[in-house]
Amino acid sequence: MKQPLLEVKNITVEFNTRHGPLKAVDDLSISVHAGEILGLVGESGAGKSMMGAAIIGLIEPPGHLSAGEIWFKGQRIDQHPEALRGREISMIFQDPLLSLNPLRRIGDQLVETILAHKDISHAEAIEQAKISLEEVGIDPERLNAFPHTFSGGMRQRVVIALALAPDPSLIIADEPTTALDVSVQAQILKLLKKLCRDRGTSIILITHDMAVISQTTDRVGVLYAGRLAEIGATKDVLKSSKHPYTQGLVASTPTINSNSTNKSLFQIPGTMPKLDAIPTGCAFHPRCTQRLDKCSDQRPPIISDKAACWLLERPDQTK
Amino acid sequence: MSFIKAQNLTRRYDLSDPWIVRKLTGQPQRLLTAVNDVSFSVEKGTTYGLVGESGSGKSTIAKMAVGLLKPSAGSIRLDGYDLNLEGQSREDNQAMRRRIQMVFQSPYASLNPRWKVGDILAEPIRSFELIQGSPNINKRVNELLEQVGLSRSDANKYPHEFSGGQRQRISIARALSSQPEVIICDEPTSALDVSVQAQVLNLLMALQKEFSLTYLFITHDLAVVSSVANRIGVLNKGALVEEGTVKELFENPKQDYTRMLIESAPKML
Repeated sequence: MKQPLLEVKNITVEFNTRHGPLKAVDDLSISVHAGEILGLVGESGAGKSMMGAAIIGLIEPPGHLSAGEIWFKGQRIDQHPEALRGREISMIFQDPLLSLNPLRRIGDQLVETILAHKDISHAEAIEQAKISLEEVGIDPERLNAFPHTFSGGMRQRVVIALALAPDPSLIIADEPTTALDVSVQAQILKLLKKLCRDRGTSIILITHDMAVISQTTDRVGVLYAGRLAEIGATKDVLKSSKHPYTQGLVASTPTINSNSTNKSLFQIPGTMPKLDAIPTGCAFHPRCTQRLDKCSDQRPPIISDKAACWLLERPDQTK
Repeated sequence: MSFIKAQNLTRRYDLSDPWIVRKLTGQPQRLLTAVNDVSFSVEKGTTYGLVGESGSGKSTIAKMAVGLLKPSAGSIRLDGYDLNLEGQSREDNQAMRRRIQMVFQSPYASLNPRWKVGDILAEPIRSFELIQGSPNINKRVNELLEQVGLSRSDANKYPHEFSGGQRQRISIARALSSQPEVIICDEPTSALDVSVQAQVLNLLMALQKEFSLTYLFITHDLAVVSSVANRIGVLNKGALVEEGTVKELFENPKQDYTRMLIESAPKML
């Protein structure tokens, strides 16, 4: 098998507090292949944004990477992530208004990004900025406009142009469409997918929305309480989920269905544990309807490359 | 007879510069029509979903329904009563307000952080003088907490001790405390995670059955509205572009805008 573009091996992100370290990400491994769109899905506090921050080296203190390794193109990067940040790995954040400088014209911001990563003249950079804008569907004439004159969807297009300008191999998109309306969300996801497919850029798409995952990604990892609950091809994970948490998440997502009116939705009892009260064994066991005896004291590893659940060990499940 | 009836409901916002600036620079008045000639009606005990994108006027309609905003033209009546008419007695308006309650989008912003949950729930009961005497009020508060799936001991806690989903349950309990007939739900689950959203939606549906409540359910999420509403109205730029039962709307949308909304909603495999 080809070497993955990005390999995250057993990383743990810890926050030191008065009551001891809290693990926001706990012994988590994922890999991304070239040209692949990997989704990371989970509820608030599952550690999905922290994963993105860890890969690009943007964990805010007092958080820190306390264990594990991150390899990118066969090179270990967790010691010096800033060497690749922006050039090889770029990031798209949730709120486009916060990721653009409100006092500078978008053209200047694009040119600055291009010049920071490429050895070309200023005039060439302006030409390239125009091409980037055109690619994301913005009139190149608006190079001199300020961010506030754009709508939310347009701003996110500018941010995508910025992220793609240095021709990165990997883009980490952290909830890129959460602040947008559905119709705009559909356009932005389509655009992001098309541009990355054309260039062979990989994406890590971080979101809480199962439907977005289902429509955009090739593979998906489901996170729960900082741990990987399940990983696999998007179709397999959504249609034949192995982990009871994924099953619950899929079943409790409302779908557009004209026959479902006033029928109650499936619900997972309880809520995600707080980081200072993660249960022993499998973190999901207090909410799990199919728990076994050992779930409460033995933490399941990822079994047969699919899910961290002891149920997969049972002969009738592994067949 | 329809229980909530909006007739030619219109609301304009004045975005003009101050009068003196307008006169000096010769600018005309600038008005934004947030809600434009919207009419719909809701039967008792059913859920009417209002969907639309940001800026479509959903929340403005909600505010007019509870009497927080006056319509510029037209009316919205609940059980035949219009909260916004001049010359009605304060007592009549007050009696009507008891019958309408609201659940807001953000459970973090809609609960007073300095009040204990028990006080938050007792406030509407005291304000409308529904029950006399503290022991009786406490009994009612405990009952409300249990109805929304919280425990009696939660009455002595502060809102920050609860998760988002639990806070939304408190908001729902507060809405129930005045024994309303209508609850206006303005994006009640959009700040919640999916698994918690399912719990809150199920609770709302169970309470509707128990107390035969009428819901005006405002959301941008088509999947949510298709699972809770009986009828749906689609708003675009302040105008009601299409209306119908869930089946009619999703199986056979007549307007391009509705079709576009349905197509762009992400779907599960």
